[in-house]
Amino acid sequence: MLFYLYIIIAAVIAAIVLTELFREKSWRHQLAMVIILIPLLLRIFHIK
Amino acid sequence: MQRHHYTAMLFLFFALVFSAIASKDFLSMYQPDVLYPSPSLTKQGMLSDYFAAIKGTSGDTPVYYFDSGNPGATILLLGGTHPNESAGFMAAAVLVENARMTKGRLIVIPQACASGFTATDPLEGCPTHFTISTKSGNRTFRFGSRGGNPLHQWPDPLVYRHFPSGQQLSGMESRNLNRSYPGKADGSFMERNGYAFLQLIKKEKVSIAFDLHEAAPEVMIINAIITHEKGNEIAANAVLNLEFEDLKYSLEISPKNFHGLSHREWGDSTDVYPFLMETSNPIQGRLRGVTNEHLILAGNDSFYKTAAQLGNVRITYELNGEPLSLRVARHVQGFRTLVNAYNEQHPENTATVENIPEYQAVLDRGVGNFLK
Repeated sequence: MLFYLYIIIAAVIAAIVLTELFREKSWRHQLAMVIILIPLLLRIFHIK
Repeated sequence: MQRHHYTAMLFLFFALVFSAIASKDFLSMYQPDVLYPSPSLTKQGMLSDYFAAIKGTSGDTPVYYFDSGNPGATILLLGGTHPNESAGFMAAAVLVENARMTKGRLIVIPQACASGFTATDPLEGCPTHFTISTKSGNRTFRFGSRGGNPLHQWPDPLVYRHFPSGQQLSGMESRNLNRSYPGKADGSFMERNGYAFLQLIKKEKVSIAFDLHEAAPEVMIINAIITHEKGNEIAANAVLNLEFEDLKYSLEISPKNFHGLSHREWGDSTDVYPFLMETSNPIQGRLRGVTNEHLILAGNDSFYKTAAQLGNVRITYELNGEPLSLRVARHVQGFRTLVNAYNEQHPENTATVENIPEYQAVLDRGVGNFLK
């Protein structure tokens, strides 16, 4: 049960990061955001 | 669309490309290692045959049966309880691909912790695979993690409470198969796996069981045979016989109050004589330098060499390295000698394993020479 809660949390954070990625105007901050996004995607899809 | 939207899409594209590249590598660990059993194989099954609840899960693993057809003892051998301890898995693979029984039965489970073969330990920088040159060409095998994949059992508790003793261990040990015995039918993923192994031992009336491991050179229990107190005489006999062959093994008795381990719980819960063997593997050590496939195969590390030469710390490390061939040879020879010692003590219920390679042959010709 906790595992699936964790996946939901990861998905929500990924959605927030994705939204902010398109709002953010500094490319440096955008770069940081996509780096954060990679491990979240891998966990959401049960890859790592 | 504004300019920052284009940069966002560009970065997102690169993030997806990097994710895809990483995914390919991570998912390659789900490809099963292929073994080619010897013609003496009589049956191949799955661990879930003994406990249906693990069927189809990442904990289910192949079981290889070699039945002589002649009544006698049943031997069980587990490799890959810790999938980053390659010599245990490879020694089991050598048995699967060569063994022939003329009395009794042999059951081999080369990848006891199947889940652990699908991931490496975080922050260790270990390779995911290693390649061995064999008679049929190069064959690649997985190098996994000590415990099960966190994707299959998460989160780790802060403190792991062993069932049924209540013993408390570090939370990460909850994914360690060798802390999960005797297991629990309705427990965690790893407790259910531990339970399945106990069901196998009971149902197959296993007489003598082996659990093959490796450990860092600085760990105290290295080149050792660890047994339940009831296996003391058999192990002592084997250690003496190995000494005659100039092979040094220390004999350790399983602590009565250290629960969850195969040599304790198998012995307490069943009639089996359990034996756990350890070899020295630098890739697991804290002093190691470059961590790559070469270290798995050659077991050669300059930092361990320096430490061994300085002599300031207690380590078990040959100056020429601890190659996979040496580690597998020790496991196979330890197995053979322990089975012989068991047969001497139980002449009414013996087992005879043939066609397994000699110690010196594995050392001289390499592990690959004994794989198809």
